[in-house]
Amino acid sequence: MTDTVQQSLSLMAIALPAMFAVILLFMGATALLHKTFPAKEE
Amino acid sequence: MDELLVGIVNLSWKHVAMWVVAGILIYLAIRHDYEPLLLLPIGFGAILTNIPFSSAVGHEGFLTRLLEFGIYSELFPVLIFIAIGAMCDFSPLIRRPIAMLFGAAAQFGIFATIVIAAMLGFNLKQAAAIGIIGAADGPTTIYVATRFAQDLLGPLSVAAYSYMALVPIIQPPVIKLLTSKEERLIRMEYEEQEPVSKTTLVLFPIMITLIAGIIAPISVALIGSLMFGNLIKVSGVVERLSQSAQNELANLVTLLLGITIGSTMSAEKFLVVEVGIVLGLGLVAFIFDTAGGVLFAKAVNLVVKKKINPMIGACGISAFPMSGRVVAKMALAEDPTNFIIMHAIGVNVAGQVCSVVAGGVVLALVK
Repeated sequence: MTDTVQQSLSLMAIALPAMFAVILLFMGATALLHKTFPAKEE
Repeated sequence: MDELLVGIVNLSWKHVAMWVVAGILIYLAIRHDYEPLLLLPIGFGAILTNIPFSSAVGHEGFLTRLLEFGIYSELFPVLIFIAIGAMCDFSPLIRRPIAMLFGAAAQFGIFATIVIAAMLGFNLKQAAAIGIIGAADGPTTIYVATRFAQDLLGPLSVAAYSYMALVPIIQPPVIKLLTSKEERLIRMEYEEQEPVSKTTLVLFPIMITLIAGIIAPISVALIGSLMFGNLIKVSGVVERLSQSAQNELANLVTLLLGITIGSTMSAEKFLVVEVGIVLGLGLVAFIFDTAGGVLFAKAVNLVVKKKINPMIGACGISAFPMSGRVVAKMALAEDPTNFIIMHAIGVNVAGQVCSVVAGGVVLALVK
C-alpha cells in the first residue's frame, strides 16, 4: 500500500466522523434555535 | 500572407478533437437541457481556447485574465455561493434538522473516491479534488480544485456539472439495486409542521457560519458566502440586494465562470488519459454518494419504529432540486398515491449544506 493510499484512508477515517460531528452540532443548534424562537410568538 | 495562414498551419487533430468535445457539451446543453447555464459557456470557452494562437487565451487573453482574476483568486465560486445562498430556503431543514444526517451520509462518495483516486496513482491533493466531485456541487468543486489541482480544473468542473445534470440517469439504478420493492413502497406521513419564525431564519445562517468558522476557519469563505446570501434573503430588509444576488449576480458570474472554465480545457491538458480517469471517478463518486445515503437510511430503519423510505437517503447530495424530484418520482412510480416529495426536498436542502461542510472538512484536513 502506497503512502498516498494510507493517507487517503486516514483522511476518510478522520473526515467522516468529523463531518458527522459538525453536522450533529448543527442539528442540535438548529433544533435549539427553532425551539427558542417559535413562530407563534411573532 | 503567412499571418493569415498561421491558424491553418498550426491546426492539429487535437484542436479538432477538442472542438468535438466542446460541440458535445454545447449539444447536451441545447438539445437535452443538461446544465445549459454552465455547459454551454464551458463548451464555447473550450472552442475559444483550442484555436491556434487564439487571442482569447495567453498572456494578454481575456479568458486567461478572467482565470487569474476570477478563478485562481477564488472570487467567482464565492460570488456564486452568495447567489445560491440567496436562492436557498432552509425552512425545511430547520423544521427537520435530522435531515442533515442523510445529507452527511450522502457525502460518503467524496471520501470513497479520494481513496480510489489515490489507489490509481493520483497524489492526495489531486485525489481530494477529484473526490469533491461527489459533493455534487459545482462551486465547491471549483473552489477545492483551485486550491489542490489547478491543472485538473477543466475536467473536474465538466465532470461535476455533467453528472449533476445526469442525476436522473445515475441515481435510479443505484437506488433500485440497493432497495427492495417493499422498501420503496414505504409511506412517510406528512405532518403539519410548525412554521419557522423570522428570528430563527435570520439567526440560522449566522449561527452556522460561526460554528463552521470556529471549527474549520478555512471553510469560512465557502460557508460564510453561502450563509451571507441566505441572510440577505431572509432578513427581508434588503430585497434589492437579495434580488440582485439571485438574478444579476448569479447570471453574470455564471456566464463568466463557465466560459473561463472552458478556457482551461486546452487540447494538451484535456486529451490525456488522466482526464478520462477523472471523468470516470466523478461517476464513481456520484454512485457512492447515492449508495451511502440509501444504505444509511436503511441502517436508520433498523433502529426506528416509524420506518422511513430509504430512497430519500439518496437526496442527500447537493444537486437541488433534481435529486429530490427524482426520488419523489420514483416513489410515485411504485405507488401513485405515495407522496414523499416534502421529505425528499428536505433532505436535498440538507445536502446543500452538508456538501459545503464536506468541502470545508477536506480543505481543513488535506495539507
